[in-house]
Amino acid sequence: MTAAPRSPRGGPWLLLVEDDAATRDAVANNLEAHGYRVDRAGDGAEAFRRLDAARPDLVLLDLGLPDLDGSAVVRRVRRAGTTPIRILSARADERDKVATLEAGADDYVTKPFGMDELRARIGALLRRTGGPSRDQEGIVRLAAIELDPVRRSVTVAGRPLELTPREYELLKVIVANPGRLLTKGRLLRAVWGTAYSGEAHYLHVYVSRLRRKLERADPTGATHGLINAEPGIGYRVADAGGEY
Amino acid sequence: MTAACQTVGVRDRLLQAVLWDTRQYQPWPTPTILFVRSPASITAGSDPTTRVRLGRGLLITATVLAAIAAATAAVAALETAGGIDDASPVYLIAVVVVGVAFGARPALLTAFGAFLAYDVLFTDPRFSLTVDDPRVWLDLLLFLFVAVVVGRLVAVQHRRAEEAEQRSREANSLFALSRMLVTATSTEDAVPGIARRLASDGQLDRVWISVGPVGRERVVADTGGDAPIPSAAVVATLARRPGDEPAQWIRTHEPREAVTGRPRSGGSVESLRVRIEADGEVLGSLSATRDRALGMPTREETRVLALAADQIALSLRRDQVTRIATDLEVSRQGDALKTALIDSVSHDLRTPLASIRATAGGLADPDVEWADQKRREAAAVIDAEAARLDRLVRGILDLGRIDSGALHPDLEPHDLASLVEPVVDRLRPILGDRDLRLDLDDVSDPVVVDAMLFDVVLTNLLENAANHASEPAPLWISASAGPDGRVRLVVEDGGPGVPPVELARLFQRFHRVARPGQGARRGLGIGLSVVKGLTEAMGGAVSAGPSRLGGLAVTIELERASEPPEAEA
Repeated sequence: MTAAPRSPRGGPWLLLVEDDAATRDAVANNLEAHGYRVDRAGDGAEAFRRLDAARPDLVLLDLGLPDLDGSAVVRRVRRAGTTPIRILSARADERDKVATLEAGADDYVTKPFGMDELRARIGALLRRTGGPSRDQEGIVRLAAIELDPVRRSVTVAGRPLELTPREYELLKVIVANPGRLLTKGRLLRAVWGTAYSGEAHYLHVYVSRLRRKLERADPTGATHGLINAEPGIGYRVADAGGEY
Repeated sequence: MTAACQTVGVRDRLLQAVLWDTRQYQPWPTPTILFVRSPASITAGSDPTTRVRLGRGLLITATVLAAIAAATAAVAALETAGGIDDASPVYLIAVVVVGVAFGARPALLTAFGAFLAYDVLFTDPRFSLTVDDPRVWLDLLLFLFVAVVVGRLVAVQHRRAEEAEQRSREANSLFALSRMLVTATSTEDAVPGIARRLASDGQLDRVWISVGPVGRERVVADTGGDAPIPSAAVVATLARRPGDEPAQWIRTHEPREAVTGRPRSGGSVESLRVRIEADGEVLGSLSATRDRALGMPTREETRVLALAADQIALSLRRDQVTRIATDLEVSRQGDALKTALIDSVSHDLRTPLASIRATAGGLADPDVEWADQKRREAAAVIDAEAARLDRLVRGILDLGRIDSGALHPDLEPHDLASLVEPVVDRLRPILGDRDLRLDLDDVSDPVVVDAMLFDVVLTNLLENAANHASEPAPLWISASAGPDGRVRLVVEDGGPGVPPVELARLFQRFHRVARPGQGARRGLGIGLSVVKGLTEAMGGAVSAGPSRLGGLAVTIELERASEPPEAEA
């Protein structure tokens, strides 16, 4: 099976780093059948060799490689650029998972996963434009939200929304990262600063409150499902289409 | 005085030499032995108690003189004014009084004093020891004889009465101590009462009891309140002998490290210590301070202290034995659980595995022709069975994490609705078409939970409800804030419910509620035990009861956080 034929089509190019040969081949075969080009690596060293040779569009990284820590691979990829990285992790790797996300990985999927789910998530990561939409005045738009960083004002479906300074800072980070997974650490650093203040442990409560304010203010329902909790990790922001 | 000191010194050095040998085998911080005292045989000494003894001697002398003087005055009054020829028996009253108060020897002294006083003052020729009349001589000698006998009798009688009283006090103390130890659930519950009792019965300023091996002792009872434990450079330790007699207080220098850094007890305080030991093993110690002016504890007080230490030692041993028995029982039950796990695993895990292997084997068989539709169906079976296996394995892993203590809940304040709603949304497909109500508006304050663990808890509860209360039984989730600062989340269904006798065992692992007419039981019976384990790991509590919907109601109690500050930077 290792000599599976490369897809002749020039679809998105993935690097799959996974030490279990059966899983590696099953996942790679399925993705190739769906038009992806897949490079396979069985350990960290091989992954590094592949990364030196070419830059893939996306890296699928299994935690618990025999030779390397997952975060080492993430850092190596991040040095080269913004290539999206998706973590494949078993439940036992929860600590590692958060550490790898903090190190710069973009998203994760928990093993065992369905192939439909994995393909949907890969598609979302590849579709991501890489940043929020801004117009010339610097106004950021996501769903029905318009955030004006100059005036520090927010409107939802055209109507102004009253936010406390913390809620505003939270929303600013959220609208700037459509389709991304924001870890708790990242949100805390962005809103409360590196030296977290005493209120920081209320992060989840602030997020819930912000979400409720947005939904109350939005008659179109476009902001519903914009901010989604990922227990233990942080929050996932839906992309402009309302999906991820 | 000097001679007495020297005598004591020689005796102490002898005892010291004897004790030196035994000391090496004692698992105790090595002290330097100063000298040895036997509580009942202290006569003259080189320590402050000598002052007490001198004081007592003066008191006796003064009383004897006063008694004789008072009796003399009475005799004089009776013989001169009352016209009585011989009022000498009045002196017997003085002898009796002194005998009762101070014992035989002072009584004897009083008898002689009275004899002399009467001879000198009331017999002719007066103011001389000589007596003219031989009959008066006889009277005087008879008086002396009677006085001596009466004095002795009174003193002996009095001493017996005192001893009897002391014995009864001792017996009362010991009875009280034994009762405290026998009725308490553990030794540590009983020792504070024992310390108080010992302090009041033994005229001790402060009593504290510590248990644990030498060097790692821990004070479990102290009558001195929060004040730091005093330490003394010199501590009198009770040396025990087989048969308990004679028990002796041995003064020793404490090792320096035990003394520094702690408040020193003053020079007017005697520090006492009795080891608590059983079968030659030191289990702890009973310590006390006592006013030095009271002298060393008497033989009886010493015996009460020694027996108290013995009782505590026995009780500690009993605790150890109970603990070992409990551990054995726990590990025996652990084995039973493992057996149950293996039984469950072999049945419930093998069922999906069997269908996966059968289906996959068929797909891999080159001799079988598969229509596209059939092949997809077969793959769907494998996928569904694998998902079922995944759920079972997840439950077992959760259980393992609870057991190994590897759970480190990340407790943070969360908005309850934002935790509950996603789980309900996610599980809507398996909950099916039923009256599903969510009423969380009563709780506005955040709850303190680990979001990931809470997710597992609620998922298990809803899956459990979906399994046992099949649609269209209603399912309500409601929350209320209790007055105790806790939030109660209730998940209740309109299913068949659980019989009251089964409620208590509902959260036991591998316990599955058997229902008549339902042969095959579903699941491993670990879902609710995971709910309990995870909830408790988050500092919460879980309970079950009948629901107003007719089925089962499970209540999760969670810690409530205060609302975050509204006014912000």
